[in-house]
Amino acid sequence: MDRRRFLKLAALSGAGLSLPGGLQALAEAAEKSARPDLVVAHGTSPERIVKAAIDALGGIKHFISRGDVVVIKPNIGWDRTPEQAGNTNPEVVAAVVKLCFEAGAKKVKVFDRPVNDPRRCYVQSGIAPAASALGAEVNYVDDRKFKDVIIGGEALKSWPLYTEIFEADKVINIPIAKHHGSAKLTMSMKNWMGVMGGSRRQIHQKLDESLADLSMKIKPTLTILDAVRILTANGPQGGSLADVKKLDTVIAGIDPVAIDSYGATLFGMKGSDLGYVRIGDARGIGKMDLTKQRIKKIQV
Amino acid sequence: MKRFLTIQNVRRIVQGFFLLLFLFLFIQTESKGNDELGYPVRLFLDFDPLILVTTLLSAHAAAKAFALSLITIIITILFGRVFCGWACPLGTLNNLVGSIRKKRPVGMYGNWYRVKYYILTAILVSALFTLQPVGVMDPLSLIIRSFSVSVFPLFNYSVRAFFDTIYNVNPLGLAGLTEPVYTVLKKTVLTFEQSLYDQGVFIGAVFFVILGLNFVEKRFWCKYLCPLGAFLGILSRFSLLKRTVSEGCTSCGACATVCQGNAQPDVKDRWRDTECLECRNCDDICPQNAVSFGFTGRKKTAAMDLSRRRMIASIVSGVVAVPLLRAVPISRPGAQDPGLLRPPGGLEEQEFLTRCVKCGECMKVCTTNGLQPTLFEAGVEGIWSPMLVPRIGYCEFRCTLCGQVCPTGAIKKLSLEEKAKVRIGTAMFDKGRCLPWAHGKPCIVCEEVCPTSKKAIWFEEAQVRDRQGKMVTVKQPHVDLELCIGCGICEAKCPVLGRPAIYVSNVGESRSKSNQLLLG
Repeated sequence: MDRRRFLKLAALSGAGLSLPGGLQALAEAAEKSARPDLVVAHGTSPERIVKAAIDALGGIKHFISRGDVVVIKPNIGWDRTPEQAGNTNPEVVAAVVKLCFEAGAKKVKVFDRPVNDPRRCYVQSGIAPAASALGAEVNYVDDRKFKDVIIGGEALKSWPLYTEIFEADKVINIPIAKHHGSAKLTMSMKNWMGVMGGSRRQIHQKLDESLADLSMKIKPTLTILDAVRILTANGPQGGSLADVKKLDTVIAGIDPVAIDSYGATLFGMKGSDLGYVRIGDARGIGKMDLTKQRIKKIQV
Repeated sequence: MKRFLTIQNVRRIVQGFFLLLFLFLFIQTESKGNDELGYPVRLFLDFDPLILVTTLLSAHAAAKAFALSLITIIITILFGRVFCGWACPLGTLNNLVGSIRKKRPVGMYGNWYRVKYYILTAILVSALFTLQPVGVMDPLSLIIRSFSVSVFPLFNYSVRAFFDTIYNVNPLGLAGLTEPVYTVLKKTVLTFEQSLYDQGVFIGAVFFVILGLNFVEKRFWCKYLCPLGAFLGILSRFSLLKRTVSEGCTSCGACATVCQGNAQPDVKDRWRDTECLECRNCDDICPQNAVSFGFTGRKKTAAMDLSRRRMIASIVSGVVAVPLLRAVPISRPGAQDPGLLRPPGGLEEQEFLTRCVKCGECMKVCTTNGLQPTLFEAGVEGIWSPMLVPRIGYCEFRCTLCGQVCPTGAIKKLSLEEKAKVRIGTAMFDKGRCLPWAHGKPCIVCEEVCPTSKKAIWFEEAQVRDRQGKMVTVKQPHVDLELCIGCGICEAKCPVLGRPAIYVSNVGESRSKSNQLLLG
């Protein structure tokens, strides 16, 4: 925190304390502006770095209210084990589930539409056992719950999307950072392919535009990018441990473009190297320029 | 007052137990997402001594689990065909269907019981010459195959259609009541997804005709056609349990009306022990209480009375069937059906056919529904054996369930490490249909889904010109022939529907010496 911002914050919060309730909102706005845009938490315990990252963003209660129905969307796309880094780390998912319940969530739903056999993906990823043990509702996607949604995007005019995403009070996106042949990298914006019904393989013909279109429609409350292990080659499903790098990191934030832009740096790339990040920035979905982001790094 | 605990009722309870056990194990023949199934789902087949014997004859070896079928043999030698009368799930179904018709003719086809012995003889003789046709008629193979490929998919279809209709129409808010029921059904008896099979209609029709024959005569199949029944019948020739009729018999003929096996219980000293299903109906019904079963005394029975000419005809049929079915061009390298993709761990084709009994367990358990029954792709000899059809479902990279459930070892049980290396075929591109190759459009879904690491599908970026003359960069995919295992996920997920732009044929399959492509 620089001096100028400190003084501003101190002045405003002082004013907030001394002034009557009407100015409380102003104080809150100031506090909000002091919050980091991105939190990068590093440490050996996935559960603790997730909690630290969310705390630095204002705590889970800032995002989840009592009685909320929360959808958590990890990547459960592949029949791979956690060590192979093909799916979101189950401990990261479990940590978020736990925090949501602590914040008083009424129901926490965890699902994905996998590419491989759903049963194997849910079990082998470790996500279904971990999340359901904490009381989350872990169901396979139900074909009847895909409904055509007008997207009005550049590539996607309308597409069947999973209704539970839109029915939930809060949505938390928990992707994993991975190499990907056609998109180069898959992180938060690409994770929404998991709520697409129909023949989603077709969107590869205009992948970057389609991903930006999806992010215009789906606005998560919070995004946590799992980089406990990242997959550096042969993605998005990997398989060989030689392609896995253990970073013990999660990146939390609200702006999906910024998160993916930061995620690119984990692979030695820049956000602008990724088509969907560039388009997302140009369309104002978020900001890819990391120099303009308040990034807080935490070691746990 | 009528006693409840008659032998007949005890038998019905036992039959019900075995039928439910069969259905339970059948329903458990499905992935729950773990590497192992956790239930001995092929248990009934392990107890089938006919498959043991034919496999020993045709393949000169048998899966270890068939040691259990020795128990069936011992029980039959002690007590006769109790397996047929008390345990066989197909027998019980025949019994049930046959009971629908109240007044029924009995023993109309007196000497037809011999037919099953001729069928058995032909099967055994052809097995001696390495043919394995037993699966087509073995009752356990038959019922598992019929349930897997036809009856159960039909059941699932009906239930789903019923609940989906109520859900969509929602008359009087009824869906609120039916949806919880549907959820319970989905978690218990329904399959994870609706599975669909080629040959389902054909195999189902055969099965329903067999059940329908009970209207001609109750347990028609068991009495006249079943080769396992014939096999156990021969064994029960030596059974220690004997039926005796005391002096009190008034020859009223009541026993003949209830006999399940056409064993002519009413003809004194001419009881056909080979036909008796040990149902004990004759004991229960006898008004004089003259019938008893026991281990003492001399066994007085009718002779088996198989005509020598017909026996010779059966033997000759069994012998002739071998060259008849085998003298076809598909045995030549390169002349076989290129789409015949055998499950991973499948033995070399000749050996595979000497073992596969077409029970369909592998098709039932296949997580993607990709394993389908053949018609003539593997010749008439290989009818209803398993074949992967990637457009219906690919072979899941880390799944080994088909090898786990195969009762005969036609599909070897593989470890995950072995599975990753077994090649069931090779994928190749149809560049005239592939989006980046033929149409200058980005795609490479095939590369994304390719499960080997490193990936067998790779791409290079190429500059192509579109219609307006603009240069477009596309990623053009290639197959690495050394790495491709032929799992077919690329074909399954290729967005070029209908005829895909990448497809798998069996060239290069690990199990074959001759069907190879690469040098060395």
